[in-house]
Amino acid sequence: MVTQSISCPKCHTQITIQGTPGQHQIITCPACGTKGQFMFPASSTPQPSKGQTCIEVSHLTKKYKDTIAANDITLTVKRGEIFGLLGPNGAGKTTTIKALLGLIRINAGTITIDGHDIYHDGVEAKKHIGYLPERVALFDNLTPIQTLKFFCELRGEDPAQIPGLLKEIGLTDASTRKVGGFSKGMVQLLGIAQVLIGHPSIYILDEPSSGLDPRWTKVIRDKIRYLNDTGATVIFSSHHLSEVESLCDRAAIIDKGRLIAQDSLAKIQSVVQTKPRLEITIPGLQGKTPKILQGLTGIISLIVKGDTITITCDQSLRGKIIALLEEADYTVSNIKTIEPSLEDAFIKLTGGKTQ
Amino acid sequence: MNLDTKSVYTVAKKEFTDHIRNRWILILIIVFIALTLVASFLAGQRSLSSDKTLGGAEDTVVTLLSIAGFLMPLIAIMLGFSTIAGEAESGSLALVLSYPIRRSEVLLGKFLGLGAILAFTTLIGFGTGGIIISISAGTAQILGFLAFIGLTILFGLMYLGPMILFSALLKRRVTAIGSGIFMFLWSPIYSMITFGIYLATTNISPTDLMQGGTISLPNWMWWSISVSPTDLYETTVMKAFNVQQAFGFQMPLPGFLATPVLLFFMCLWIAIPLLLAYVFFRRRDI
Repeated sequence: MVTQSISCPKCHTQITIQGTPGQHQIITCPACGTKGQFMFPASSTPQPSKGQTCIEVSHLTKKYKDTIAANDITLTVKRGEIFGLLGPNGAGKTTTIKALLGLIRINAGTITIDGHDIYHDGVEAKKHIGYLPERVALFDNLTPIQTLKFFCELRGEDPAQIPGLLKEIGLTDASTRKVGGFSKGMVQLLGIAQVLIGHPSIYILDEPSSGLDPRWTKVIRDKIRYLNDTGATVIFSSHHLSEVESLCDRAAIIDKGRLIAQDSLAKIQSVVQTKPRLEITIPGLQGKTPKILQGLTGIISLIVKGDTITITCDQSLRGKIIALLEEADYTVSNIKTIEPSLEDAFIKLTGGKTQ
Repeated sequence: MNLDTKSVYTVAKKEFTDHIRNRWILILIIVFIALTLVASFLAGQRSLSSDKTLGGAEDTVVTLLSIAGFLMPLIAIMLGFSTIAGEAESGSLALVLSYPIRRSEVLLGKFLGLGAILAFTTLIGFGTGGIIISISAGTAQILGFLAFIGLTILFGLMYLGPMILFSALLKRRVTAIGSGIFMFLWSPIYSMITFGIYLATTNISPTDLMQGGTISLPNWMWWSISVSPTDLYETTVMKAFNVQQAFGFQMPLPGFLATPVLLFFMCLWIAIPLLLAYVFFRRRDI
């Protein structure tokens, strides 16, 4: 008998459950009534403790004909954390992920997963990995059931979990149709189902919410949190900064094949020292910049949009700005301070646009 | 090279299930069956009227030879060309290789699964023909016919091996299609060239050849068939069935081209391309 503490994917209530290793159990959350399936990790694969190094990439370099897709990238992912790989399109995120899985030959560097070198001991290294490619492609003439059965067999997992997986992604009704007739979104969902086969301990997700409609974006975020709560390590790439900000413990920023920063989110934000922005709403402003603010020293940027002025400036200047506006008889209805987002950090670091 | 047989079997099974439901393969199977039925029916009719059972079997085999001569390469090319190039381009191969499986296992599984489709197609296509022959002509050459089917499957694999090599070597699906066209035309063009050299270097005129009788080809020409799958296949079948006469010609086969030698060459056509395919596939960026 094993005791496991999990958190509800919907309301995050902690639930303590008991079962035998490898057993599937239907669990109902006592707080919100959400039902879910949980599989106890098989006893042969004990969950190693958190905080140990899980994925280690050192000095990864990959050159294509005339571009360097990855240039001396070194990063470490610790067990049990959610790690974000952030960068614009074409920055080298997919190259890094493909190297992690041994899918591409690299020019220099080493990659180890759970201590196994991916190029020398690939089968062992990939045993507990679930991988979601950016653009999932499957086999046109197979049905979802046949597809998932194939992947179950490859991972040595019980195909009894297939109906549950299909239900989770909402493809139960299409389970006997050929995948060739599926929409892109349906194929992507089936790709998500194969990631979950056998509850891997490491998830490598390349742009997990790309190709899906927004309603799934939230589902995937919740799922990533849930998987992480059950002890899994998640590494995912994204160019959606909000996604990384809301999910990750740590992140790496990659641009033009180079690693620009790698640290906890708070540190990344503090390192670049992006200043908070001040958002002031003045009813009836209608896009006109108040004269008293024009040319005021200390203002880094000033944007007026409708009735809202967004100002980036030193903290010390804030009181003065408000006072000046009130002196000039502007009615300030709302003042908001916006903390620097990763987007600001990102733009500052790369000197470019996010997308 | 370490191989996990279970992984190989899993990939082979997937390839079989995937391609057996492929529209084009299905159409080719139907064409195969139809042509075989017509051929064996006509040959069977002829053998009954001339009251020569053996001649009937010979005729049938010669007709079936030419059907297999273009259908087997076509099926093998259709199955093989995109198996790596196409799946690498679409991305499905990346997903498969993210699982705990070796590239050698994927490659072997693909060869066995696609080979099983070839075998299945041949068995159905020629099997129905064989049943018709044995009913109409009453020949009891079941073992011989099975041997013929076996050689035909081997012939198909002689195209599947090189096609998997091209698929492992070429980056894009489109170029892989080009390599398929090349493979399809390779044997006919090669025969034309060697025959041209033969005619140019001897004083036999083409009209002499057209008058029938016995053709005796020089030894170098017989050895040169080892690089042409279709010629190798046809020669092996004729040798095995002791067919001396084809389309009105007497073509005695030289003694040094014994059946084991021919079979050895056929197997080389499968093994060498597969080994090369592994060399390229192992190093390939997916």
